[in-house]
Amino acid sequence: MSRPGFVLEVDDRTPPLVVHEGLGFRLERFPLGTRVVYPPESLPVVPDVDEAIREALLHPVDADPLPTLLHSGMRLTIAFDDLSLPLPPMRAPDIRGRIIEHVLGLAADAGVDDVALVAANALHRRMTPAELRHIVGERVFRSFHPQGLLTNFDAEDPDGLAHLGTTEHGEDVEISRRAAESDLVVYVNVNLVAMDGGHKSVGIGLASYRSLRHHHNAHTMVQSRSFMDHTRSAMHHSAWRMGRVIKEHVRVFQIETTLDNDVFPRPYDFFQKREWEWSVRDQASMLAAKRGLAVAPQRLRHRVFHDLRSGYGLTGISAGEVEAVHAQTLERVHRQQLVEVQGQSDVLVLGVPYLGPYNVNSSMNPVLATCMGLGYYFNSYLHQPVVRRGGAVILYHPLDEGFHQLHHPSYVDFYEEVLAESTDPAVIGQKYERQFAEDEWYRHLYRTSHAYHGVHPFYMWYWAAHAMDHVGDVIWVGADRRAATRLGFRAASTLADALEMASGTVGRSPTITYLRNPPQLLADVR
Amino acid sequence: MPSSESPSSPLSLAARLEGSHVLLTGVTGFVGEALLHLLLSEVPGCRTTVLVRARGSQGAQARVAALLDKPIFADVVEAAGGAERLLATTLGVLEGDLAAPPPLPDGLDAVVHCAGDVSFDPPVDQGFATNVVGTRDLLARIDEALAREGRAPDTLHYVHVSTAYVAGRRRGHVAEAPVEHDVDLAAELDWGLSQRADVERRSRAAEHLTKARRRAEREHGRAGLLTAARATEAARRAWVSEELVRIGSERARSLGWTDCYTFTKALGERVVEGWAGTHRASIVRPSIIESALVRPHPGWIEGFKMAEPLILAYGRGELPEFPAAVDTIVDIVPVDHVVAALVAVLAHPPPPGAPAYFHVTSGDRNPLTFGVLYAEVRGYFERHPFTTGDRGAARLPEWRFPGAPAVERLLTTSERAHRAADYVLGHAPRSDRTRELARRLDQQGRRLAFLRRYLDLYHEYAQAELRFSDRSTVGLLESLAPEDRERFAFDTAVIDWGVYLQEIHCPAVTEPVRAMDELRRARGRTARTRAREVGEQPGTAAFFDMDGTLLSSNVIETYLWMRLRELPAGARFAELARIAAKVPALVQADRRQRSDFLRTVYREYAGARLADLEQVVDEELAAHVVSRLSPDAVRRIRQHRAAGQRTVLITGAIAPLTRPLAPLFDHIEAARLAVDERGVCTGHLAGSPLVGESRAAFLHSWAAEHDVDLAASFAYADSHSDLPLLAAVGNPVAVRPDVALFRHARRQHWTIVDWTSPPSSVRSLNPAGGSGGAR
Repeated sequence: MSRPGFVLEVDDRTPPLVVHEGLGFRLERFPLGTRVVYPPESLPVVPDVDEAIREALLHPVDADPLPTLLHSGMRLTIAFDDLSLPLPPMRAPDIRGRIIEHVLGLAADAGVDDVALVAANALHRRMTPAELRHIVGERVFRSFHPQGLLTNFDAEDPDGLAHLGTTEHGEDVEISRRAAESDLVVYVNVNLVAMDGGHKSVGIGLASYRSLRHHHNAHTMVQSRSFMDHTRSAMHHSAWRMGRVIKEHVRVFQIETTLDNDVFPRPYDFFQKREWEWSVRDQASMLAAKRGLAVAPQRLRHRVFHDLRSGYGLTGISAGEVEAVHAQTLERVHRQQLVEVQGQSDVLVLGVPYLGPYNVNSSMNPVLATCMGLGYYFNSYLHQPVVRRGGAVILYHPLDEGFHQLHHPSYVDFYEEVLAESTDPAVIGQKYERQFAEDEWYRHLYRTSHAYHGVHPFYMWYWAAHAMDHVGDVIWVGADRRAATRLGFRAASTLADALEMASGTVGRSPTITYLRNPPQLLADVR
Repeated sequence: MPSSESPSSPLSLAARLEGSHVLLTGVTGFVGEALLHLLLSEVPGCRTTVLVRARGSQGAQARVAALLDKPIFADVVEAAGGAERLLATTLGVLEGDLAAPPPLPDGLDAVVHCAGDVSFDPPVDQGFATNVVGTRDLLARIDEALAREGRAPDTLHYVHVSTAYVAGRRRGHVAEAPVEHDVDLAAELDWGLSQRADVERRSRAAEHLTKARRRAEREHGRAGLLTAARATEAARRAWVSEELVRIGSERARSLGWTDCYTFTKALGERVVEGWAGTHRASIVRPSIIESALVRPHPGWIEGFKMAEPLILAYGRGELPEFPAAVDTIVDIVPVDHVVAALVAVLAHPPPPGAPAYFHVTSGDRNPLTFGVLYAEVRGYFERHPFTTGDRGAARLPEWRFPGAPAVERLLTTSERAHRAADYVLGHAPRSDRTRELARRLDQQGRRLAFLRRYLDLYHEYAQAELRFSDRSTVGLLESLAPEDRERFAFDTAVIDWGVYLQEIHCPAVTEPVRAMDELRRARGRTARTRAREVGEQPGTAAFFDMDGTLLSSNVIETYLWMRLRELPAGARFAELARIAAKVPALVQADRRQRSDFLRTVYREYAGARLADLEQVVDEELAAHVVSRLSPDAVRRIRQHRAAGQRTVLITGAIAPLTRPLAPLFDHIEAARLAVDERGVCTGHLAGSPLVGESRAAFLHSWAAEHDVDLAASFAYADSHSDLPLLAAVGNPVAVRPDVALFRHARRQHWTIVDWTSPPSSVRSLNPAGGSGGAR
């Protein structure tokens, strides 16, 4: 039986604790009394993955078994989550590929020949053939990719979109025409965090800018408290409304999977162990990694980290009707990630690691680091934020990776031109979002190259809107000062300096909480 | 002319010159201006006519009016009741050039000839023309005027301003007497005047031109043959003027003079002496004329004279040594002493047939040695250092006076090192560091050239151990009325060199430099690395080079990307090795001719299907092209487009490679691979590659066709071969330039920008398939 997550209170016997900071980590001694939130250890995994998949497909929740939905002459579309999930990427074979093989097997048995596979990458970058192959597996790739039946979704293809109507709030629902015109859409998801899945899968993953702009904006994000809790997230409310419109037009067979917390493969598994329980071997690995990273050039460090592939275990799989499936999924995600925390604190400390959803095989630029820290990690709570209103957030990241010209071209201009003028999400959204969203060059790069959509950096900034609205002070430890200033934040050399700088906001002896992730955790703040 | 002598109470100079009419030459020069000022302010009864040549659109009258506008003339003009009034009464203007003097006005009592070439190293023909022919023709005009008026030769006094250094390379005591020499004046004059034609002819000789052209083509061939031709012609012209200077100096030295200046000045004196057989003539020989001691105000100086560049260079810490001995005398006189002596001489015409000689010098009675000069100048700069920029006071070199040979050795070694460094830098790969090194090296080079020029020039004077006797001048001074001795002071023995140098001369000389420094500081360090705003002008365009400007790559690299994609792993290595073996030949070709280089590389595409190449680019290489794009470059292109300007890509790369960039440009001009009927590349190009001058030619024709104003357009490029492209537009921008272009851009004050290419850490061809996947 795995141990649940818990909250450590730092005392004088506590060793220095791991804090991730980009392409590296540090061992930090926290002030006495600091609360450190550890995620639960990995849940038990399903004993036989293929058996579990078959079981889910044959006995779905609130839906007919998949074989009964398949018949000759039908049009079947299999959509799947793109490379932003899971993090880090899964060691081959990817769970999505295994599920797709089963689905294709059933489809073949039923004599379905109009089958298309589409990656639900929304406004994310087009994946390369190699990246697609990694997700769907060699066999599926070879059978579908050369014929053009395994593609990335193109949200800017005027002929590839279908407008399904509007919600009762007047929100446009526009998704992939292929999916909209299919007799059945099978969606294969990896539910890494509570935010994923549900109506977010088809409703967002296969949607266009016209649809996305209704919930991806500063106003909605400030009202999503948090977007890891779909019952209290304005973004999810919107997506759920859209999902119901989709349900009227398209039959969706949702397959959701949940993974355990086995994020770091050996020899980096010391990252997911509790520091005082490190064995001699763990300590040696830690020291080797620390020394090695200290002398390695940035390129090499980038390579070391980005080459990591995790050997996740499958904790469960559910298939069937979207909302019913998602309820089961959330229950498992919570079991794996939820930690109860008593009350808010004055200061929240977060280590921003090397990887977020949008820099797989790419670089963590300052905008993405902000999104990772103030967007995803800050929002990893239920009920109320870990830090009190007006408190301070202290983040660790050097902010020095620069921009990936191939993947993030609009980010460079967003950073150089937009952030130079204002860092207020509402202001920049109003003033610049449309211009970036409709820019021909960005559109060209999104459609033909491997670039995130022109509007994507705005979304990153909106993810952080709730945090910026909630806290009084944001300080980056060990960050490039110019980058931090451009982002509208401050930089400190050490935690002690950062606390000193925050003392104007939170006083001399603030209460501090450190969320020790990754692996993922979700703080249930009571 | 009242010239009755009265030894008991000498007449004042003003009285002696009362009512006389004097012609002055050279009033737009330093000495002439001071002389005019002195005459106008202290001898108001004397009528003055000035001989001034028109310059450009400015006539003589206008030039004199501008002269009178200067602050030192303010009192004189006011006393006369305005410039017009002055010009109408006591001051006449005669327009004309000394190269062909005009007829002189009637009623002249005296002529003071202070015009002359002040440069020490004039081209030989110019030295003769100014100092010998000019004097001869002026004297001829005087004779003509006297004959016209029917006056006797002895009714006019000619005062000739020469230099003390006509003594040449003598040593020791120099008397106020004719210079002893037996040079054949007519023969030398003939020879000197014919030199220009001769040198021009020699400069056009085939063997000479071949050498110059080879050198120019080596350096500029990449930019194109016309650019090289222009450089060749510029080099020929430079050679002509250098050669004329060299010939002059050599001839002067072979006859015992220091340089062409003193040589022709001495011959000029001979002309005067010949004329003086029947006329009254005085020859005044000042030594080195520097700023005024008292009049018009202490420290008054116009332009830079002989010692100033050296003083300034020393103050900047750029003059490490000087090839003089500590005790060598440097003979300096203030300008007001010179002109006062001239007025005194003017008022005391010698008898006809016996020309009078006057040294206006300081060395005999009040010697200033190099040791003292150095100590005083150093003292001045220690108290008032230059504080250029933000580095504090410049460090002042300590002179040890090691003697001329040691200084020469030091300089020669430095020059050699500079040449070596320059060669190395010219062949170094480009980087920020090379550019910074080039900037520093060029600064060093300018300093060395400066040192070389001045040390060569002053070498002779620094060695001249001459003592100019000024007994006649002192005698003249003593014969003056007591009040004139005050008013027209020219006793150089009264000068306190410490006070003169530290409180008068150095402050005057450094003042304009300090003002300039102040200005520079006030202007601050404006960001040099920002290109001008794109503006909103319609009908303009922006032209971009691709490799190196927009992308961090080159033709070989792009070729390799394409080929390696198609090859299996084993063959890739073989291909890499094959290309590596060819690199030296390719580098050679690139240095010689950009188009040869491109042809060599494109030959490698023989046998590839064009459609395949395009597919490879679209599917695989687009990502590599885009990931090498500089974000700043893209932003700039988009700014131009947003401003409604057309954007054009000009590249020597093959057309398929430009496909990913197509949406950014209105027009793309790239190399086209020739294909046979099956669509297979032949390895040749469909047309000549667009490099060097053909880019400029393309620009002009494209601009004419699309009605684009090139003068308001922009061009962006990175290499020396793009020079014609950049020079064709009004707003050229050098982007991370190579050393040759960097130098050119700095000289021309072109914008230099630093568009960094992305420091992409992900460059593997297979981003998903990391090697660590299965660990």
